[in-house]
Amino acid sequence: MALHFLSLAQASLLHLGRRARARWASWLRVLLLAAQIIVLALASSSYRSGRQRQTILRHIYLATAPLLTWFLVLSALISLVLIRIVVATAVSYGLSQYALEVVVRTLVLELIPLYAAMFVAVRYSMPNAHGIRERLAGLEDGGIRRSEQELLQAVLLPCALAAAFSVLLLAALSCVVALVLSYLTVYGLSPWGLSAYTHSVGKVFSAPVTLIFSLKTLFFSLAVAIVPMAATAQRDSDGRYSRGSDITELARLFSVVLLVEVVSLLGNYY
Amino acid sequence: MNESPPPTTVRPADQSPQVVKNLELKAALLLLLMMALVLASGAYVLYARGFFERTQQLVLLADDSEGVLVGMDMTFAGFPIGRVARIELADDGNARILIDVKSRDARWLRSSSVFTMERGLVGGTRIRAFSGVLNDPPLENGAVRQILRGDALAELPRLAASVSELLENLTALTAADAALLASLANLQTVTEKLKGPQGALGVLLGNEAEARKLVERTSALLARADVLTGRLDSLVANADRQVFGQAARPHGVAEQGGLVSETRTTVKQLNGLLAEVRGSLQKVDAVLVDAQAIAGNTRAATTDLGALRSDVEATLRKVEHLVNEVNRKWPFARETEIRLP
Repeated sequence: MALHFLSLAQASLLHLGRRARARWASWLRVLLLAAQIIVLALASSSYRSGRQRQTILRHIYLATAPLLTWFLVLSALISLVLIRIVVATAVSYGLSQYALEVVVRTLVLELIPLYAAMFVAVRYSMPNAHGIRERLAGLEDGGIRRSEQELLQAVLLPCALAAAFSVLLLAALSCVVALVLSYLTVYGLSPWGLSAYTHSVGKVFSAPVTLIFSLKTLFFSLAVAIVPMAATAQRDSDGRYSRGSDITELARLFSVVLLVEVVSLLGNYY
Repeated sequence: MNESPPPTTVRPADQSPQVVKNLELKAALLLLLMMALVLASGAYVLYARGFFERTQQLVLLADDSEGVLVGMDMTFAGFPIGRVARIELADDGNARILIDVKSRDARWLRSSSVFTMERGLVGGTRIRAFSGVLNDPPLENGAVRQILRGDALAELPRLAASVSELLENLTALTAADAALLASLANLQTVTEKLKGPQGALGVLLGNEAEARKLVERTSALLARADVLTGRLDSLVANADRQVFGQAARPHGVAEQGGLVSETRTTVKQLNGLLAEVRGSLQKVDAVLVDAQAIAGNTRAATTDLGALRSDVEATLRKVEHLVNEVNRKWPFARETEIRLP
């Protein structure tokens, strides 16, 4: 009996160890792929070939332009609702002088980069990664295998660059829309509030806050660009490109985004 | 992925490329938009932070810089005119708050300006400038001033102590053996008595017997008052009859006299008497006219008497002079002159 119990415990421990090692290896691969993509993105050789440049430009366009309209509409609606809630609450408590600061901090600094990243991940990055994986599986079924370098440079880099660019552009545009809506909500169409408004915005964007905001948005874009691609480039235990779980990939991406958000919050407010 | 790859042709990612017209132009526009957004945002933030604005420095000294943050505003009349650039600890243990004041707003700061640091119950610390005399010389660049502190939070312990005392008093007031509770019980008893058959009288006199006695006495008093009122009516009727003479006699015969009619007769008689007096006075006036004439004659006679008197006096002086002459010339006259040797 005791021997059986020991063997069961040993088996479960082995299973847990294997899972932990696999997870650790998986995260290591993500980090390694991120480093490789960043190196490739910074290398001029990646853009020498005209065909490669065309591919990157096409991906950038396809990752950004179709999402732009609806994302801006959605972002404007969400921003308007949040701005109205914050301003009305602040006014009702006699704290209207803090309303703009709260709006800029919550909306522009925290929420917009987060939902821009998640929007691009759900609408472009993850579906695209699945498509690439399916095509890779099809190619392998046809007996065509690609080298890692080739896969990185010709397939993953354009998608990663496009996703990162899309996150950055959508976040930037959405921030501008939110700032304009904040002004219009608080001051209306009068131009006389511009000075006070600029002062309030400038008060929020101190040097550390601006730096943290920029880094956070950059890391969000990198996470959205790389984490789904890492799963794409990763073979199964039997060496094939079979379809993985969407939820697992989303959870992995979300955990990275959440980690970046928590670190940025710590940097901003502690 | 580390397995040796078989020979393949290098193909880009998407094997089923969608045809995008003017791809390069559109992608370049997106890249340009991105660049413009980043540059414009950076420039706007720098402008909002006052990077392009000329400033002058002001140093405020405080014994405690708690609540002061880099980047917070210094206001004048509610307008932000400066911003905390740095906070440092001086050699004497005081906090030095270095403030960048916009050059175009520095005119509001004068050499006599006062600076305060306030901590409210809501919101952060506020630094404010007050300039009472705007004709004073402007505050020089790098000026060092002491800051005055006002802390609303410092009042909180005293406020808490007062509230605690108030609560204790309230607890004592509302305790089971408190005077307030006893008073309320008594008030309840009183209201119950008020609702009883004797009402407020029962409350005032204490018991039912006294209240009944008071009611009986009051009834007797009212009866006597009724009788008295009848007598007063009779008295008024008599007075009416005496004064006006119009009242009917008990047998229905109207009385013709009365004080008023007699008075009227008397007034008529007085009028006649006054007419006679007026005639007598006219006669007296004539007599007085005569007397006035007599007095005028007397005044003239008195004037003549004065002249007569002066004549007599002159005659007497002459007689006296004559007597003196006779005495001087007479042989036995005395020598009146004294001759000196």
